[in-house]
Amino acid sequence: MNRVAALLGVAFGFGLGAARLNDYDVIHDMLLLREPEVFLLMASAMAVALPVLWLLERGAWHTPGGGLMRLSRSNIERKHIFGSAVFGGGWAITGACPGTALAMPAAGVALGLPVIAGVLAGQILRESIAKVRPIAPGRRRA
Amino acid sequence: MLPAFPDRVPWYVVGPLMGIVVVLVYALLNKRLGVSGSYTQARMFVLGRSVAEPWRIWFLVGIVGGATLTTVLRGGFVVGTDYGALGRFLPLGLVVPTLFIGGALIGFGTRWAEGCTSGHGLAGIPSRSPASFASAATFFATAVGVTFFVHVVTGGAL
Repeated sequence: MNRVAALLGVAFGFGLGAARLNDYDVIHDMLLLREPEVFLLMASAMAVALPVLWLLERGAWHTPGGGLMRLSRSNIERKHIFGSAVFGGGWAITGACPGTALAMPAAGVALGLPVIAGVLAGQILRESIAKVRPIAPGRRRA
Repeated sequence: MLPAFPDRVPWYVVGPLMGIVVVLVYALLNKRLGVSGSYTQARMFVLGRSVAEPWRIWFLVGIVGGATLTTVLRGGFVVGTDYGALGRFLPLGLVVPTLFIGGALIGFGTRWAEGCTSGHGLAGIPSRSPASFASAATFFATAVGVTFFVHVVTGGAL
């Protein structure tokens, strides 16, 4: 399972680097709606995955090690809206998301490191707040 | 001689590749692809705490390896402090804290929302998860809004 995960990670990371999603200017131009390339990339990824996953789910696909394949679904809660709004702000400032930030130092972009450090610090801060004020109960992420 | 690796591989090649990876993570591992969760698991591993989903750490290592491969195919590493338009607009002493704070917003927000561009976007929407539709709409709208705000405030420099 771990070896398969590593190989799939290589394919994912290769895609991030190949499309230069680890480049601030590429993401910034997308968010300024100057070019459609990254939107088309994400849309085509979803357009491939959605029907295949639907078919696999309909066909009750059994995974090699994990039993019947189950798609992770959750109902909308406040945390999804507020959390994603905060994330969107960070995405706009850095031109990075958690995946592309990992691919930055891999391209020699040393300033990806403060982004990664910030992501880790932000996670820790969120967890410490959640301990004091537990978030509303909901389905845990698969 | 092999043709040179493109400076930017087009969306219609990379997009379907990523879609296939999303499908394979579900079909082989029975998990939803996501990167922000990998950070959490890696943090637990480094701190010596119990790791609930070790595969996520391997996925993270793979991402770094795959991205490194593209750098090697383009001719190798040149480590530098460039950061595109943001790096040209701000001095290095301000870029670093700006990126750290921006990163903290990413970490705080994705931990809160339980997913990021990959988990809620690339994988969550094809899973037909209502929370992922709402999350993706929110982070796209916020990111575009904040980017335009920054664009105006900086007089078009960013």
